[in-house]
Amino acid sequence: MSEFKISRENANGIALLRVEGFLDAHTFEQLEETIRGIFESGCFKLVVDLGGVDYISSAGAGVLIGARSESQENGGDIVLLNPTEGVREVFDLLGLTQIFKIVNDRSAALAAF
Amino acid sequence: MVRRELVVPNDTQYLATVREEVTRVVEQSAFGLRERKLLILAVDEAVTNIMEHAYDNDLEGELDVELILEADATRFEVIIRDSGKEFDPSTVEIPDIATHVGKGQKHGLGIFLIRQIMDEINYSYVHGEKNQLQMIKYVDRTQRKDPAAAAGRKE
Repeated sequence: MSEFKISRENANGIALLRVEGFLDAHTFEQLEETIRGIFESGCFKLVVDLGGVDYISSAGAGVLIGARSESQENGGDIVLLNPTEGVREVFDLLGLTQIFKIVNDRSAALAAF
Repeated sequence: MVRRELVVPNDTQYLATVREEVTRVVEQSAFGLRERKLLILAVDEAVTNIMEHAYDNDLEGELDVELILEADATRFEVIIRDSGKEFDPSTVEIPDIATHVGKGQKHGLGIFLIRQIMDEINYSYVHGEKNQLQMIKYVDRTQRKDPAAAAGRKE
């Protein structure tokens, strides 16, 4: 099993998070805390790169739902970048694919705000 | 037929162990890769629900969740037992996803996912003892007993 990792960079006032590994009920709090820290810094424009996420459960999807709501309430948004086939499958089952902004390359993600 | 039994503490760090064990069983089933991944997800969601909600927080890691996993050419079946609070997943209302997301609700999607994936969900509770959740998915979905009722869907 691959280690769960989150890395962060900033570009033009947008926070980019790259998530890797298994995003489940054991790891979701790490992502939640990272996003909370970004919001507390006053940044509400967020790109989450899911290209390294091997697996997501509803706990992981829930973090993204919460982040979408809070960012939009504060004039920002969340864009999901390059989700893996497994993530897309779960998003399809949950009916989230049509609700989230989902793009496949970084430039499109940064241009989505 | 393949059958495996597993007991894990009620701590989410053991979800990876649960998924690994389910993987071993579904790999010997007649399900395709996509359905195998969904079966792993359904069991993860059911066990997560128990670990997060069936016990008080101060009992994390102190109690057991038991799983019996079976697969053959026709079906996958899992029985999950815990000694936590009584909880019948069929009583959980199906969320309207647009409303759910619109309100920023982070929780409550696990049971919804399970219902999307499994063909039968049967719950029983022996008072003062254990919750037992049986979930079945058939290779041939026409083998379902009563598709709507069996999956706990309020259709």
